[in-house]
Amino acid sequence: MEKISRFLLVFIAILTLAIILPKLYWMAFEKPVRKPFILYSCINDDFMIHRISEKTWEDTKGNQFTREEYEKKLPLMFEKQLITSGSWPDSIIGMALDMRTISKAKSFFRLKASEIDAPFPELYPLFESQSGRTKIDLPDDFFRITWRIDFIEAATNKVLEEKSQLFSAALYQNGFSFPAKKISGLATPRKSIDEGYLIIDSKDQLFHLKMIKGFPYVKEIDVPDGLKFRHISCVDFKNKDFYAYLFSDKNEIYILTQDDYKLIKWPVDGFDASNCDLKIFGDLFNYTVIIEAEDHIKAIALSPDYQVVNTYTENWKLKEDQTEGKIFASLFPAQLSMTSDNSKFIRFYFTPSKGLNWIFLNLLLMAFHFIWLYRRKVKFKNHVPDLGIVAVSGIFGFIAIHFFQNKFFG
Amino acid sequence: MWKSVVYKEWLKIRWFLIGYTLLGILGIGYLFLTVKHGFAFSGGKNIWNSVLFMGHQFFSPLKYVPLVGGLTIAIAQYFPETVNKRIKLTFHLPMGENKILLMMHTFGAVSLLLSFLIFFGLFAVFSLIFFPVQMVTDSVISIFPWFLAGFSAYFLVALIVLEPAWKFRLFYSLVGGFFLTIYFTSAVTSAYGSANTGLFLVTAFLSIALLFSAHRFRKGEM
Repeated sequence: MEKISRFLLVFIAILTLAIILPKLYWMAFEKPVRKPFILYSCINDDFMIHRISEKTWEDTKGNQFTREEYEKKLPLMFEKQLITSGSWPDSIIGMALDMRTISKAKSFFRLKASEIDAPFPELYPLFESQSGRTKIDLPDDFFRITWRIDFIEAATNKVLEEKSQLFSAALYQNGFSFPAKKISGLATPRKSIDEGYLIIDSKDQLFHLKMIKGFPYVKEIDVPDGLKFRHISCVDFKNKDFYAYLFSDKNEIYILTQDDYKLIKWPVDGFDASNCDLKIFGDLFNYTVIIEAEDHIKAIALSPDYQVVNTYTENWKLKEDQTEGKIFASLFPAQLSMTSDNSKFIRFYFTPSKGLNWIFLNLLLMAFHFIWLYRRKVKFKNHVPDLGIVAVSGIFGFIAIHFFQNKFFG
Repeated sequence: MWKSVVYKEWLKIRWFLIGYTLLGILGIGYLFLTVKHGFAFSGGKNIWNSVLFMGHQFFSPLKYVPLVGGLTIAIAQYFPETVNKRIKLTFHLPMGENKILLMMHTFGAVSLLLSFLIFFGLFAVFSLIFFPVQMVTDSVISIFPWFLAGFSAYFLVALIVLEPAWKFRLFYSLVGGFFLTIYFTSAVTSAYGSANTGLFLVTAFLSIALLFSAHRFRKGEM
């Protein structure tokens, strides 16, 4: 029993050290990756790259610009600065534009991988979409979708039976299959207008639900066969072109157009929702889609009708391919972490080190332990499991077996 | 024999256990008083909204309550055994040494469990007054590792206190201290859902940890 307790303690110590030591190592030696800020310029039909740490502004051909020149190449992004400095052009690519038109077409969207792999609330407020008020009020009740839709009044924590039955019936009559798999919407009163929620039911059908003058509005949206959405991000852009960005389980990006409910697939490759961050800058002439992965950044410029007009990719070394990463892989056989950049869930994230260089240190530590045992004139056969632990877990196991020493046979 | 052992352990921890449990109950009472106050002054819908969408964790004052309990009960139970090495007397009783130790340990752990069950039960009952079951479930997922940390702290302190050599006490404290941090990682509500099973298992592994240091104690390791 004591021996089992020791092995369990050694296991706990290895687990702890596999979390702490790599964390300390990276805190000491990790070098930040300075990702460039990339936007597509409608003026010279090229991507403009701002390297923030180097304070340089350039295009993809390597032409260097001053900050002022750079801003002039991106007038729809820096319009306020250009007006302030008196550099606002009379026309942009032959079009005279007013600020209202520019502002209406402007949009910015950001999605991190950790926002997709995250716990989601199971209750949402259903706002009144046509209240006739300029300000949206937070409703007194929140809904959940289980075997039906329930509205629960927050002040009393009681189900509002009449409203629940009314909305459940509306969903049911429109072919909704309870419960909901995913509920997506802008659950905040801080938006220009309420458009309710996009809901995926248990059969992967897509529905639009909102409340108009207290009554349910339910619309089933045509989704091509086999298309399943992994994540939906509703948006509130001024131009009201579309309700949401939708991300399929095959990492395709769709938009859902406003009012006519058309699903349009964007010709964007290279996005992986499990480990990439996404930024989309929209303006009157282009959408710039930025995909940020661990070892590269990809920029795709789309025309207003969503056709690719240009792409640009920039790569850098992965953390593990840099000198610090190679040293790490020689010291530690693996890394354990409770958190991940790509998720908001707490889990035991196990990452084995790249390559097998850690074997040398493991063997060295085994030899060291062997000599240590030899000097104590102990029977080796009683310490074979410890040597095995060091062989597999390296420095973590070595420290663990010396903290929790095997003296059962001394 | 087991009745005498249980009585001896009860004598050691009773006031600490009762005091801790009462303070814990008062703490939970205060926690829900603040929730009730929030409902009265900010309105239920705003409280729900802040819990659901703004990251407000109304249960966060409970974070270190189980840890304090584990530390308190373990020190109350095992520290007196190390004064003048009184635990040696226990080892001379006509019963297996491990058996008697596990009996003591089980009594302490069950006492702690009862205290935690009271807290957990009160938390769930009061939460269900103010929040629907989905929000309560998410909260329970978040506080569960804190209660596991309470047990881990109890098991680790027993291990450390019974260890005869100061050098190794320091080593165990280092590992134990860092190990406990895995229960307290800052996270959004219900983020621990995927980790709780694993954490439960490693906590269970620690439950017999004191046998190791007790063995070293009996052998007279220095």
